[in-house]
Amino acid sequence: MALSIDQKKSLMTNLIRAEEFNRMMYRRMMQGKLIGFYHPAEGAIAPGVAASTFLNQDDNLSPHHRGHGITHMLSKGIDIKYYLAEHTGKVTGCCEGRSAFHFSFPEHKVYMMSGFIGYNFAPAVGWGFAAKQRQKGQVVMNCSGDGSYGQGRAHEALLMAQNWKLPIIFFCENNGMSIFSTAMEMHPKPDISSLAEGFGMPSAIVDGQNVFEVAEACLEAIARARAGDGPTFIEAKTLRFNEHDIGTPDLSGWEERSEQEHAEMRAREPVTIATKIALEEGWLTQPDIDHMREAALREIADVEAFADESEIARPPVEELMQGVFAP
Amino acid sequence: MRTITLTDAIREAIEEEMRVDSSVFVVGQDVRGAIFPHTKGLVEEFGTDRVVDTPIAESGMYGVAFGAAQEGMRPIVDFMFGGFSYVTFSECSVTTGQYHFLHGSQHALPIVITAGVGTGQRLANDHAMSIHGTFAHHPGIKVAMPSTPYDAKGMFKAAIRDNNPVVIPWHMGIMMLKGEVPGIGDDYIVPLGVADVKRVGSDVTVLANSLQLQHALSVAEKLAPEISVEVIDPRSFVPFDMETLLTSLEKTNRLVIVDEDWESGGFAATVSARVVEQGFDLLDAPILRVTLPNMPVPGGYMEEYVAPNPERIEAAIREVCL
Repeated sequence: MALSIDQKKSLMTNLIRAEEFNRMMYRRMMQGKLIGFYHPAEGAIAPGVAASTFLNQDDNLSPHHRGHGITHMLSKGIDIKYYLAEHTGKVTGCCEGRSAFHFSFPEHKVYMMSGFIGYNFAPAVGWGFAAKQRQKGQVVMNCSGDGSYGQGRAHEALLMAQNWKLPIIFFCENNGMSIFSTAMEMHPKPDISSLAEGFGMPSAIVDGQNVFEVAEACLEAIARARAGDGPTFIEAKTLRFNEHDIGTPDLSGWEERSEQEHAEMRAREPVTIATKIALEEGWLTQPDIDHMREAALREIADVEAFADESEIARPPVEELMQGVFAP
Repeated sequence: MRTITLTDAIREAIEEEMRVDSSVFVVGQDVRGAIFPHTKGLVEEFGTDRVVDTPIAESGMYGVAFGAAQEGMRPIVDFMFGGFSYVTFSECSVTTGQYHFLHGSQHALPIVITAGVGTGQRLANDHAMSIHGTFAHHPGIKVAMPSTPYDAKGMFKAAIRDNNPVVIPWHMGIMMLKGEVPGIGDDYIVPLGVADVKRVGSDVTVLANSLQLQHALSVAEKLAPEISVEVIDPRSFVPFDMETLLTSLEKTNRLVIVDEDWESGGFAATVSARVVEQGFDLLDAPILRVTLPNMPVPGGYMEEYVAPNPERIEAAIREVCL
């Protein structure tokens, strides 16, 4: 589905925001200003931006864990300051500082994160089931990595989504790596989307480094789901520039990834690719892009100030006990 | 009052709640054809959008309930046999229990989880295990199990109306047990978290549930000429009505806990520890537990003497009353 210039500009804006937010998270982890761990998204930011930018607020989104879902959530219009506050253990966090890295924005239909890779598949079936019954054209953008498709629950979700023609987009951000293990070793075929064939589900493979190409495929899949024509599998071939999470070694199998591998990856940097396209097609100038980045940096300064100025959450146990059950 | 079976009582609760609340639906495997009688006939009245059969894919099946509950619906998910919940246990225990609390107590997750459980069918471990103790170990999930048709209908209604995940299995050993239940449409609930003194006595308290409650009542009747047995049905394990138990112990000073779960780490162990912590001075004898020994539940003819039974309950009562 061809993109309008406004749509391309939205993607470019969110791509630059995603890049700067990921840098901010990386820096804060190194500074000791994040709780827990961080799985950096450098090199892999385009798929989440493309999948999430054109969703409606009443569409369900399950972000990929890479970048802790920030690239997806900011593209859907979620204010990241509440998530950063959560990730720094503050009372103003989206989960009142209880969850470390888990996010939850029910009003935006980003319900949850679980630490179990592949957790998204089971509830995605339920969201799709509810959306289909409601008949308001809502869709489910179900994002996760190549590794998550090892889970049996992924196959169950594909089965049930196709069987019931649920409005779910199975959006596989295939960076070729699950921690140290390569997708080539862990899967019998090079394309994860080949799974869709077995269920009779339409699928597409796109260049995950090209945000515009991914977005075109997403818009098509979203339109198909909204029309009641069922699920689509999209595989975005992307890359992971950094180690799995900050502090683990950067291995492929049990050996360091080579400098050559890194050099080849970095030649496929998504913002560089998008910038080249924008300038060549002429719908942005370099100063326009510079302004986008300046705006992103101002936004991040506000987000960090909000988190840093908020109080640490340390409620007494008795108070926490009141929150275990809903009234 | 009319008498109906335990599973008919459960079905009436589901039917009546489905009639008044269009967000209530049932999802499971072969719930339309009703492999157990508690879902029989539902599909004829409510259709396949609200009585939903899934493939043999427990995670996906439970996911229908979980995701739909987040979307504001009120699913009843049926695992057929309780042991089958283990196939998707990360979803229905960890992720379910933590959802509300961990995400800042901002979003309720109303799911009813049910299944047939318990010994008596000689089916062996994976088809005979109880699940209430294991679920009770996971915070954020309410756990209850009915012992009579009256309680079954009222407790299922309470569970369906609750805004939390509620695990409410039913014991296959009493599925055809008949009891008095108010007429169809005579609305009542049995609130979760309230125990029931099923028989008043003065010498010893027996805490027992489901099939084992029925065993305890028959033993109490048999022993009536020599020992006065008070029988308490916890009905709910989470939340647990400690007050009713302690009040009983003030009178009897002796406690036998019958629980068709393993001895190690089970609900009986939790209650025993709490009584020692909160009611130590009330006790005139050690607490005795009648539970499953710590072995996988055998099938065949071994089940009847390995599982708690009237003989073992009587022996325990006699021992604490010595």
